[in-house]
Amino acid sequence: MGGTITAWDAVIIGGGLTGLRAALQVSRAGLSVAVISKVHPLRSHSVAAQGGMNAALGNVRGEGGAVDSWESHAYDTVKGSDYLADQDAVALMCREAPATVLELEHMGTVWSRLEDGKIAQRPFGGAGFPRTCYAEDRTGHNVLHTLYQQVLGRKIPVFEEFFVTSLVRSGGRCMGCTALEIMTGAVHGFASRATLLATGGFGRIFSRSTNALINTGDGVALALRAGAPLKDMEFVQFHPTTLYGTNILISEAARGEGGILVNRTGERFMERYASHALELAPRDVVARAIEEEIARGNGFDGGYVHLDLRHLGPGRIMERLPGIRQIAMDFAGVDPVEEPIPVQPGQHYSMGGIDVNIGGMSGLSDLYAAGECACISVHGANRLGGNSLLETVVFGRLVADSIVGDLPKIHESAMDTVESAMKETETEIREILGRSGGESPFALIRELEETMFLHFGIFREGQMMQEGLRKIRRLRERSLQVSMTNRDSAVNQALVRYLELEGMLQLAEVVALGALAREESRGSHTRRDHPHRDDRRFLAHTMATIEEGEVAIAYKPVTLGMFKVEERGY
Amino acid sequence: MELKVFRSRPGMPGSRYDSFEIDPVPGMTVLAGLFKAQEKDDTLAFRYSCRGAVCGTCAMLINKVPRLACRTQLQALLEGKAPVQLSPYPALEVTVPWDAGKEVLIEPLPHLPVIRDLIVDMSLFFEYYRLIEPVFSPAGPGPERERLMSPAAVKELVPYTNCILCGACFGACPVNARNPHYLGPAALAALYRFCIDPREAGGTSRLRRADTPDGWWGCEFHTNCRRVCPKGVPPNIAIGRARKELKATGRSAGEMGGGR
Repeated sequence: MGGTITAWDAVIIGGGLTGLRAALQVSRAGLSVAVISKVHPLRSHSVAAQGGMNAALGNVRGEGGAVDSWESHAYDTVKGSDYLADQDAVALMCREAPATVLELEHMGTVWSRLEDGKIAQRPFGGAGFPRTCYAEDRTGHNVLHTLYQQVLGRKIPVFEEFFVTSLVRSGGRCMGCTALEIMTGAVHGFASRATLLATGGFGRIFSRSTNALINTGDGVALALRAGAPLKDMEFVQFHPTTLYGTNILISEAARGEGGILVNRTGERFMERYASHALELAPRDVVARAIEEEIARGNGFDGGYVHLDLRHLGPGRIMERLPGIRQIAMDFAGVDPVEEPIPVQPGQHYSMGGIDVNIGGMSGLSDLYAAGECACISVHGANRLGGNSLLETVVFGRLVADSIVGDLPKIHESAMDTVESAMKETETEIREILGRSGGESPFALIRELEETMFLHFGIFREGQMMQEGLRKIRRLRERSLQVSMTNRDSAVNQALVRYLELEGMLQLAEVVALGALAREESRGSHTRRDHPHRDDRRFLAHTMATIEEGEVAIAYKPVTLGMFKVEERGY
Repeated sequence: MELKVFRSRPGMPGSRYDSFEIDPVPGMTVLAGLFKAQEKDDTLAFRYSCRGAVCGTCAMLINKVPRLACRTQLQALLEGKAPVQLSPYPALEVTVPWDAGKEVLIEPLPHLPVIRDLIVDMSLFFEYYRLIEPVFSPAGPGPERERLMSPAAVKELVPYTNCILCGACFGACPVNARNPHYLGPAALAALYRFCIDPREAGGTSRLRRADTPDGWWGCEFHTNCRRVCPKGVPPNIAIGRARKELKATGRSAGEMGGGR
C-alpha cells in the first residue's frame, strides 16, 4: 500500500475550528505542525454552527443599562452547567472571550455590526446579557473560513481525507498516530512529539442528531483505546429546536431574536416551565419542556411543536436569520415569514469527552485534546448556546500554547515504533476486509443510533437503560461479523464506516455506564427514577477508562471556588 | 423511482451507469437516496458531511445541473419542479438513455478528474482558490478593539462571504469546461470579497491578482454560476464590477492580453 512516515513537532488531528486555530498557534511559534482531517477542513462540523460566540464585549447594554463582564459570563456558564463545570476553566474561557472575538475580527471575520460599527451582540439562552456575537446565523461558517484562510496563508500542511486509525502508544506516552488515506488506501505513520486531538463530538451515536454525519467521536474513541480517561460522557445535550423530519438545527438565535414556542392548542407553554426566562431558559430546560408537552399529547401528530417567528416580520427574519429561513424552506417546505416552523428536540452536543487538565493535557503523556472532543470542563452538565464556538477558538489557542511550552521537554518519537504500528493497522484492515459474517456496518450504525436515542435520550430510567446497555453489547458482538462486498482498501466508505462504528460502540457503552451509575438528575442528564440533583454523591466528574477490556467508572472532584453551588431556577 | 448513477473506479477502463430502485418518502433528498443505494451496493462512493446544505461537500451533477445532493429533493426532480436553465457545455449533453419522469440522473461534478464514482478530485478548484491569496490583509496591526464597520458595508460583503466552496459553479461554467486554466467563478468571487472589504489595506489593488486572461477577463457572462449557487452568491456581478474598476484605473494587463 506504500504508506509514508513523517515526523513533526506537533500533529493535530481534526481540521475544525479548534484544530485550525491550534495549528496557527503552533506554526507561529516556528514549530513544524501538520493537520490531519478525515474530511476537507471546510467540511468540518464547525461550519454548521449558527448562532454565535459569547464574549462580554459590552457592546450592547443589558437591562437598566448594565454593562456585561467576564465574571457575569462565568456565573451564567457555571449556573447553566448545573455546577458541574470546573470553575477555573470557565473563568479562563470567559476572561479570554473578548480577546478571542476581536482576534477573529482582526483576521478578517465579517461579524454582524451595530449601527455604531461595533460587533453586534444578541441575547441567548441562560445569559444575563445580550452577549452573543454573530455573523448573521452563519457564525461557524464565517469563522471556519477565516481560520482556513489563515492556515492557507501560513502554508500549513493539511492531510485531507485521512482517517486516523490509531494513536501510537509506547513507554507510557503518545508518539503519534497512524492514518488511512481514504482515497488511496495507504496507511501512513505520523511520528509527533505532541499530538492534539481536535476531532469534535460523538453526536452521531444518537439518531435525531443535528450533527454532521461525520461526527462519530473518532478522536474520543482513539483516546479511550490508548488509555486516556474520558470524563462526564453521560452528559449529552439535546437541543430544543431541531427541524422536524431531518433534525437539522434551528438556532437558538431564532428564540434570541424573539421567536416563541407554542403547542398544539396554541399555548405558549414555556410560561409553565420557566416563567421568567421563558424560551430563553437553558437548553436542557427547554428541551425537557417540549418533550414533556409532546408526551402529554400537546404536540402535533408525529411529535413536534411550533416555533413561531412570524411576529418578527419579514425584515428582521431576513436580516438576522436568513440561514434559518433557507433551511426551513429547503428541508421542511415552510417559510417562517408565513408559517411556524415544526421543531422537536434532538441530540446536539457532547459535553463530555477526553479528560484534560486546564492546559489541555490528557491522562496520557504528550497527548492533548481541545474543543468538543475534550472535557476541560467548561460546560459541565449543560452547555449554554454560544459557548461552544468560544471554547473551540479559546482552547485551540491556549492548548497550542501549552504544547509549545511543553515541547522542549518532550523527546522525538521513535520512527520504528510508528512503523510497527502502521504494520499492525495494515494487518487489521486486511482482516476486516476479509470478514464474511454477513452483518452490514450501515445497518448496525442505524440500530445503534436508534438504541441510544430510545434508551439514553432526554428522559432516562434505570430499567430502560439496562436494556439499552444489553442492546449495545449485542451490537458490539455482531459488529465482529460484518462483511463488505467492497474489498478494496482505496475509497472504501463501508470500511471507513466500520472503523467509525468500532469507536461509536465503545463510546455508547461508556455513555450508558456513566448514565446508569449517576443516580441523580443534573443538567442534561434527567432520570425519571432519580429526579433530583444529589450534590452529596454526584457533585463530581464521571471518569471512564478501560481496564482489562472492561469499562471502569470512577469519580473525581469538581473544581469550585468562584461561585457557590445553589439550586438552579430560571 | 430509480437513481441512475455514474460509476467509475481507478483501474477500470471507461465508466458505466447503475440503476438503483428507491422508494422515496416525501422530502427525501438525493443524498438520502444515495445512502439507500449504498446499502445495496457498498462499493458506491460519494462524499457527504453536514447533510444540511452548509458544508459544501456533496456538489454533483444531478439531472444535468450541478447541485448539492443534500439540498435536492427527489420528488421535486421527478415532477420537474424548479428547472434550472443553463448555458450549454459538453457535460450537459445527455449520453445515456434517461427517463426524467422516473429516473434521477446522478453524475460527478464536471470539469474535475473523477476518483471513484461521484467523488472528484477538487485539487484544481482549491489550487485556484489558493492562487487568489484569500488571506485578510489589513492596513496595520489590529487596534485594541474591533475595526469599526458599518452594517451597510457588511451587507455588501455577505453575498460573497456566503460562498461554501462547494464547486457547483466551477462544474457549471462553460469557460471552465473549455479552459482548464480559468480560475473559475468561486475563486474570483472570493478575491472580490477581499477587494471590497473596507478594512483591507490593498482594496482594489488586490484586483490585479486576477487581472489576466484566465482571471477576470476569462468570464463570458453565461451566469450559470449564479443560477446553480446553493447560497445565492453572484460571481458574475463580482467579475463585472472588477472589470469595470480595472478599466477605470486604465492599467489592465489582462484585457490587453486579449480576453478570450
